Amino acid sequence: MARKYREIGKAGWGYTAITSVVGFIYFFPVLWIILTAFKTRTDALAVPPKLFFTPTLENFTSVFFRASITTGTSQATDMGLYFFNSIFIAFTSVGLALIVGTLAAYAFSRYPLRGNDTYLFIILTTRMMPPIVVIIPIFLMFRLSGLAGSYWGIILLYTAFNIPFSIWLVKSFFDELNPEIEDAARMDGASERRVFFRFCIPQILAGLSATFVFGLILTWNEFLFALLLTGVETRTVPVAMARTLGGEVGVDYGLLAAIVTLFLVPIFFVTFLLQNQLLRGVTFGTVKK
Amino acid sequence: MSDLKVQNLRREYGPVVALEDMTFDVQAGEFFCLLGPSSSGKTTTLRAISGLEDLAGGSVHFAGQDVTHAPVQGRGMSMIFQTFALYPHLTVRANFEHPLLRAGLSSADAKKRVNEVAELLRVTHTLDRKPSTLSGGEQQRVAIGRAIVRQPKLLLLDEPLTNLDAKLRHDMRAEFKRLHRELGMTMLYATPDQLEALTMGQRVGVIRDGRVVAIGTPRDLYEKPADRYVAQMVGSPPINFLDTQASADNQIELSFLGLPVAAQGIASGQPITLGLRPHDIALAGGGSSRATRFKAKIHLTEPLGDVTIIDVAAQDATMKMVLREEVAAKYSVGEEIEIGFDPHDLHVFDRSSGARLGNGEAASV
Repeated sequence: MARKYREIGKAGWGYTAITSVVGFIYFFPVLWIILTAFKTRTDALAVPPKLFFTPTLENFTSVFFRASITTGTSQATDMGLYFFNSIFIAFTSVGLALIVGTLAAYAFSRYPLRGNDTYLFIILTTRMMPPIVVIIPIFLMFRLSGLAGSYWGIILLYTAFNIPFSIWLVKSFFDELNPEIEDAARMDGASERRVFFRFCIPQILAGLSATFVFGLILTWNEFLFALLLTGVETRTVPVAMARTLGGEVGVDYGLLAAIVTLFLVPIFFVTFLLQNQLLRGVTFGTVKK
Repeated sequence: MSDLKVQNLRREYGPVVALEDMTFDVQAGEFFCLLGPSSSGKTTTLRAISGLEDLAGGSVHFAGQDVTHAPVQGRGMSMIFQTFALYPHLTVRANFEHPLLRAGLSSADAKKRVNEVAELLRVTHTLDRKPSTLSGGEQQRVAIGRAIVRQPKLLLLDEPLTNLDAKLRHDMRAEFKRLHRELGMTMLYATPDQLEALTMGQRVGVIRDGRVVAIGTPRDLYEKPADRYVAQMVGSPPINFLDTQASADNQIELSFLGLPVAAQGIASGQPITLGLRPHDIALAGGGSSRATRFKAKIHLTEPLGDVTIIDVAAQDATMKMVLREEVAAKYSVGEEIEIGFDPHDLHVFDRSSGARLGNGEAASV
């Protein structure tokens, strides 16, 4: 019997169903958190978990305003500041790392040094050890230099940690480019600066977006350094979240879920905004443009 | 007068010598082809002329000026790259405009020129599209357009037809000749394809291992190849080589021939290689000299439509010959045929050096 071949690029219902199940399993924790954010405290703690309930925005209100236990009056929390801190610190440091990383990556790709690979390897070693190993020396350096607790301190640190990642990733995008295009631009009269900004950068926008989003996610969720090196004024959301755990009234899961849900919004937003670029970027040039 | 003088170019990549003593001249308005196999230094030569390569030695003079160390920008040369190298993020129009705006043209003038060139190359309908949406032939024409739009004094072409299919290549060869005639610019064309070099080049420089080993008109190179290498590079199907030695001074004997063949400039016992072009072998009775008649067995036939390439074996020697299709159709594989050649068509080379020793001549019987 001749077997019927499916058109390439069209999956059957079976595969689609399997993929949906796997996708659902992956998404379930996120879904659970989002649902919990809209539950009352009783619903949140119900066993088995309730799938159908009357949603409430109470948790979201209490992220920013909380009734004081002693006086009973509504009081603003510092969560607004922490959200600002997270956004400001993450975007600034990832942006800086991307700028420095892109310039370095271009240099590594187009003007290789003697022992180019050795330098690239050394740059990567900074990412090889777990952060907990370096936290003590870094903490001491921050104390001595007075950077502890300041915006600049944590921004510099995150920038430094993101640069190796940016260099490696962006270099791979530069390596993928056809150097004859740059030569053609030169012969057509473009200066080196123009070749870089008008001909190389526009070709790797997808890659830059992917690098930016990956860096942003890593930095956005970073906890350990933020816990030890930020002060009251510069605290980021992950640290603030941890501080809602425990306390005199136990864990308020609804509140926690509301913070997490709000915390997801900026990343969702950025990813959504860049998704067209990302799809091309994350294939790392394996798909011919 | 914009003539190009390339002298003693040397370029090394670590231990690999890409260019070694590359020397040639191109006259103003000439269509000059560089012919050589891959990695013989063609691309490096073009890049060196354009200033894209750092040279370890040698000089490039262009339009009477020493441009060896001049910056890439502003040399008045354009290049068509093997990969076309179109700017993928820009529309075809912007691809065309870039060199013009860099050259300082006003955008109105640039627009006018772009439209002219688009018309000349029949790509007007693609002007507002991105290069990735074009067919191979259109991309090629856009690449040509971008190179000629600012009317360079010298156009460098680096295997521009390699990425095209056979039919398109054929059309583009004619297109390049037409452009050369209409624009009158000096063209330097690098190719590994002897057909391209012979059909387009007014003169051809044959390259081997980073140096030019022969320069001449296509006819010169075909009829009087300077050495074995040139003989083998030029002509299709490739020339037949027969290793033998001189039986006496100025005399060659071939195992399958009844009589010796005379050739000048060879000493008795000297090991030589005979070159015989497939087109110079004919069926006996077709006017070939009686002295060189011999019998051969058909091994293989490759019909090409109009002609058929036939592999024949005469004793221990194998060679290719070309017959018209309708003639070849009368014979089949395994059949013995009587063929012959005119001894004047023999090319004699020294076997060790490969140098040309002079033509064969009919022996006086």
